[in-house]
Parts: sequence; C-alpha cells; structure tokens
Amino acid sequence: MNERVQGHGPVDFIAEEQKPAAIITPADTRGDLFITADVVVVGSGAGGATVAATLAEAGLRVVVLEEGDWFPTREYSASVPSMLSKLMRAGGATAMMGRSPVPYLEGKCVGGTTVVNGGMCWRTPERVLHEWVSERGLPELSPRGLERHFEEVETTIHARYQDEGSQGGVNDAFKRGADALGWKLSRNKRNQKHCVGSNDCVTGCPSGAKQSTQYSWLPRFFNAGGLLYTRCRVKQIVTERGRATGVRGVLADPWQPRRFTVNARAVVLACGAIQTPLLLQRNKIGRECGHVGRHFTIHPNIKMSARFSSPVENLQGTHQAWQCIEFRDEGILLAPGAIPLAFMSAIFPEFGPRLAERMRDARYIATGGILVDDHSEGRIRALPFGVPWIQYDVTDADQAKFVRAAALMAELYFAAGAEEVYTPFHHLPVIATPDDIKRLYQRPPRVEDTEYFTAHLMGTCRMHGHARGGVVGPDGQAWDLPGLYLADASVLPGTIGVNPQVTIMAIARLVAEKLADRLRRV
Amino acid sequence: MGPEFVLRGYPRRIARAVVDAMVPRWPEFDVDLTDDVLADVERTLRGYPPIIQVAILGSLFGLEFLSPLFGPGLKPLSRSERHIAIARLETIANHPIPQIRMLVMLLKVTISFAAYSRPDVEAFLGYRRREWRETRQALRARLLAADPAKLPAVPAPLADGRVVTPAEFLSFLAALADGHAEQAAG
Ligand SMILES: Cc1cc2nc3c(=O)[nH]c(=O)nc-3n(C[C@H](O)[C@H](O)[C@H](O)COP(=O)(O)OP(=O)(O)OC[C@H]3O[C@@H](n4cnc5c(N)ncnc54)[C@H](O)[C@@H]3O)c2cc1C
Repeated sequence: MNERVQGHGPVDFIAEEQKPAAIITPADTRGDLFITADVVVVGSGAGGATVAATLAEAGLRVVVLEEGDWFPTREYSASVPSMLSKLMRAGGATAMMGRSPVPYLEGKCVGGTTVVNGGMCWRTPERVLHEWVSERGLPELSPRGLERHFEEVETTIHARYQDEGSQGGVNDAFKRGADALGWKLSRNKRNQKHCVGSNDCVTGCPSGAKQSTQYSWLPRFFNAGGLLYTRCRVKQIVTERGRATGVRGVLADPWQPRRFTVNARAVVLACGAIQTPLLLQRNKIGRECGHVGRHFTIHPNIKMSARFSSPVENLQGTHQAWQCIEFRDEGILLAPGAIPLAFMSAIFPEFGPRLAERMRDARYIATGGILVDDHSEGRIRALPFGVPWIQYDVTDADQAKFVRAAALMAELYFAAGAEEVYTPFHHLPVIATPDDIKRLYQRPPRVEDTEYFTAHLMGTCRMHGHARGGVVGPDGQAWDLPGLYLADASVLPGTIGVNPQVTIMAIARLVAEKLADRLRRV
Repeated sequence: MGPEFVLRGYPRRIARAVVDAMVPRWPEFDVDLTDDVLADVERTLRGYPPIIQVAILGSLFGLEFLSPLFGPGLKPLSRSERHIAIARLETIANHPIPQIRMLVMLLKVTISFAAYSRPDVEAFLGYRRREWRETRQALRARLLAADPAKLPAVPAPLADGRVVTPAEFLSFLAALADGHAEQAAG
C-alpha cells in the first residue's frame, strides 16, 4: 500500500497551521518512491481533490500526486511577484498565441487553481446542460442528473452569498451604475466563509475565508485516509496489456533528482485543461480519436475600469460580489472586479511616467471585467522538448460582442458617476465622456488592437457519448485507454458561459462515483 | 537558465535601461526604484521556465537593437537617454502588431508587478495593504470565534433590500466580534 505514513489524525482544514501528516513532501521521504494504491489521482485542484475525496470516502485507497508545493495560509504574503512564483505555473508568465496573445494563469500548488481563483460559484446553465444531453449524447449531464452533485459541491465548498457590506466600493460603484440603468444584477455565490474583503483572491486568500480545495475537499480526502504527495510531476502513464496501470514521474527534491512510480487499478488525470492534454500527447494517448488538445474554449475577458471623483478604495472589498446579467442572452457578462494595486498597474496600457500618473488616482479607480461566451476553438499541442504550443484566435464575431459589451460597461460606469473610463483597446484607451462611447462603434477596435485575459480554460479532452466525438466517455474513462480517467476542466463538453469550478467539481463527483462502483464490483 | 538565472554583462545593462524607463517616478516620491526593482525582476525571472527566460533575453536584445527603428534617436536603447528610451518603448507597446507589442508587454507586467507591490509605493498611493490584511485577518478570527448564532444572516439574492456600506459593515462586525452583537445590530 502506500509507501509511508498510513494513519493520521482528523483534519479540519489544512492551510492554517501545521502541515498534516497526510501531506508528504520530498523532505519526508528518501530515495525513489514506489507506491501502490487503488487509484492514483494526478492534480489536487477543482477536479482532482473532488475525485480523490469521493473515492477515498467510498473506501478506496487513493493517492494524490501534485506537482506544486503546499503553502499554509500564513505564507500568503502581500508581494504579488513572490506569490505568483510560488503558486502559479511558470510564475504566471503564460500566454496563448493567436491574433492577439491572451495571457492566462494556472495554479500549481496543493489546491491547484482553486487557491488563486476569485471564488465565484455558478452552476452550469440549464440551457448548456440540455445541449450536452442532446448534442453530445450525455444524458448523465442533464440538470436532474447533476442536481445532487451540485448540491454536494455547494455544501462542501460553502458556496454562499457574501456577508452584507463586505463587498467594498468597487462593487458598490458597479451596482450604482446598473441600478441607475435598470439593468439586472445577480449576486454571486462565492465559496467563502465570512470573507472580510481582503481583496487578495488571486494571490491566495490571506484570511482563510476562501474555501479552496485546501479547505473543502482535501480535508475530506485526508479524513477518509487519503495521502497527497507534493512536488511530484507525472510524466508517464504506464500501460500494460492495453490498460492504464499507473504513472511515473520525477520528484522535485532540491537536493537530488528522484523518481516515483505508482501502480494502481485506475489512473485519474486532473491536471487542468492545458496540462492534461499535454500529458496525453506526450504519452501518445488518444491520438486515434483526434480530439486531444482540440475544442479549447477560454471564455475570454477584457478589463475595463473607471475613475470616480471620490475614492472607491479598490483595496478594500471582495473581488466580485455580483454580476450584471442583463445581457446574458447575448453571451455577455459584465462584472466588477476589485484587484490589488499591482494587478491594476498591469491592466493599463501605459508604463513609466504615464502609468505613474494614472496610478496616482488608484484609490479613485474601480476595475471590472467583461466576459463573453466564445465561439472560437483553440488548440493545444506538445512540441518537441516538452514545449507547449497553445493557439487561440478571438473571432471577429466575438470581438463584436466585446465592443458592444465595452460600450455597455462604459455606459454603466458613467451612470455610476465615473469621470473617465479606461478600455483595453490600444486605439481608444480612454473614453472621456458618455458621448465618446460612440467612437467605439465608429472605429471598432480590431482583435489585434485589444488586450485580453482568460481564467476559464476548458474542453481540451471533451466528454462525449460516442467514441468518435471526444476523448472520454460519460464515465470519464478514455475511449482509447481503459483504466485511464479524466476529471478536470479538460472534459467539459463545451463552453459554459459562467465560472467553471462548480461544473468541474460536479462532473468530477459523477466520474468518481462511477469509478468507485466499478472498482468495488471487480 | 532555470532557477539559477542571472542577468549579467550586456543583458543586464539593457534590462537596467528598460527598468529605468518603466519604473514609476513622482516628484514627491523621493526614491529611485531602478536597482531594487531590477533585483526583484531578476528574482521573478528565476521562477520563469527556461523558454520564457530565453524569450526575455531575446526581447532585451530586440529592444536594444531594433528600438531605434521605432524612433526617436539612433543609439541602442541602453545608451539612450531615459526620455528617448521611454518614447521608443511606448511606441512599441502600442504598436498595431501584437507580436511587436509582446517585446515589451511581459517586461512591463513583470516590472509593474515588482514596483507596485512595494510597500513604499503602495503607501505613497494611499494603500496600506499589509496593515489592511492584518486587520482583516484579526477581524475574521474574532468573528469566527463569536457565537455563530449571532453572526449576521446570509442575505438573500439582490433586489430585496439595501446593501449596507462597507463602513457600516465593518463597525458591525467589529462590535459583533467584541461581543456587543445586539448593540451592533441596533
Ligand atoms: C485568476 C483566476 C480566477 C478564477 N476565478 C474563478 C471563479 O471565480 N470561479 C470559478 O468557478 N472558477 C474560477 N477560475 C477557474 C477555476 O479555478 C479553474 O477552472 C479550476 O480550478 C480548474 O480545475 P482543474 O481541476 O481543471 O485544474 P486545477 O485546479 O488547475 O488543478 C490542476 C492541478 O494539477 C497539477 N498538475 C498539473 N500537471 C501535473 C503533473 N504532470 N503532475 C502532477 N500534478 C500536475 C497542477 O499543479 C494543479 O495543482 C479562476 C481561475 C483563475 C486563474
């Protein structure tokens, strides 16, 4: 069974004080590792932690391998560069190529991207689920089929509305504008317990309010006897007689190069929408189906902001307390988004003295974002020497939505009393008056003139009811390799138009339950 | 390359010129951030994968020798005066071809993150981020320790009732955590 530590005391949450015995770092072991388990789960983010907890609670011996490190909450510092280096893949210096490069972030730590996300919790819209049932042949993903999984997820991660008043001035300004225009708002549920508005979601919640998987699924996993190994990078999926039977990889021990091998009855990959297809491609798995790394959707967003005559105190408050859903049917979501000063400095196109002048007004600037449902599909490819190539082109149709959405957002900010609105469009970075909004339509910004960002990566190993339509079937098992399961953002059958963590976790639950049933029967 | 990455010699000189052009300066703020930010940037670069480190080195040399094409002046970037370097970098940062903008963008983000995370810069701009975080943490700890029954009710979705101001909320929570829940609720 597991190489070392077998028993450990109950775990309430794992990020606060001492490292629980169930988290095994390279310093806790010597030499190469050989581990045997019922199931090995790769990745401890939204998908991996959910699968691991569900399987362990079903009585299976489960090991999680995580490439990143474990950091207790007290180590989440206020230094943005240092936290990006600790918590993010490639220190956050990641972008996909296309008509305009799109930067993105992937968490690489115990808890994965749930540690650095904004905490918004949305169920998959029913219209999307119906589409998956009818067009992808996935009756299990009907609203009824997923209902109990959604409930379990929301309870576990504590998806709740913010405490009144904790939202802060950026959210208030946004609401003022939407109210003035009579546009519909929807309060966000967030996975938090008494979030007090530290406004540091992206560099790790310093108060422990955000219920990332470190505070939710992983304690459940540990309490059911599971073990998690940190700094283990899986490189190879081991197969025997046409079945996945384990994984191998390298353990990032600062003192000496080490290796590990895990033998298991089933392998679950939950490395995220970029790393999972890369791992499959490097192992030449799923080539026949032709879908690995394709159908990549990113729910792209642009940042908008506005200067007000009195301080909005961007520092204080929550990331996003509500969203404007008035234009949902058009695939447009407008949202406030309070961010730390360093991130604010990055969203303006200026630098040096001009940026310094703009930042003088930082306390008066409210930041926000626009997300659109995308119709483009990108592609992920593993090039030689382990180099990933990620291609995504924003289409002209989606750009037209962005332009309309930017005009709406500017209208909202002016209605809230803004003095000036800032856009991510190079040829029109400032909209000085409400009358200027029409300039956006007179000379619409091209994709190439626009700065984008994305946090919602999906669909690169999609689930499909038919072997020729996707990489995995309705049970999450790879069509091309029995014994290999996927349970992360990569399996989403299409774009969902809302923040994805709840959808990922619900599908991961579904996959885990089916896998547990199967393993118990054999 | 890798975690031992250091900027030496010529690349360091170019990097210093770029940092010098990009760091914030205000007449009332009496600190030259260039060397500190350069050291921070170097530390950040060490966390980047080798391929990005190579790309950064490539962009530095690109900026050094190609930036004169974007005017003004003819000298390489590291030998140009600051205002000339700034003018060129701004032209590149706003170039209509995104791939050309990229020469500057990653450096800009890395430098801005380093500069605007500094406590002295934050304080100059009216932010006391570290203190704010500490008071939040302390408040939340007291809040959790308070009797859960007395915690504020989770509000219903929007449109039913007003949203209290942050100030009202904070004084409410503080009083609550101090055990004066009724007084706070009143
Ligand atoms: C800034 C930001 C804000 C966001 N805000 C929200 C939000 O408000 N609401 C929402 O619903 N979603 C949000 N998201 C998105 C959401 O967090 C992700 O979609 C979700 O966490 C993805 O889950 P996952 O399981 O696919 O991958 P991840 O959570 O990224 O987990 C993957 C894990 O696998 C590990 N791993 C990868 N490769 C290997 C390997 N080879 N060996 C071992 N381990 C490996 C990684 O280190 C990582 O820990 C946000 C994302 C970002 C970046």
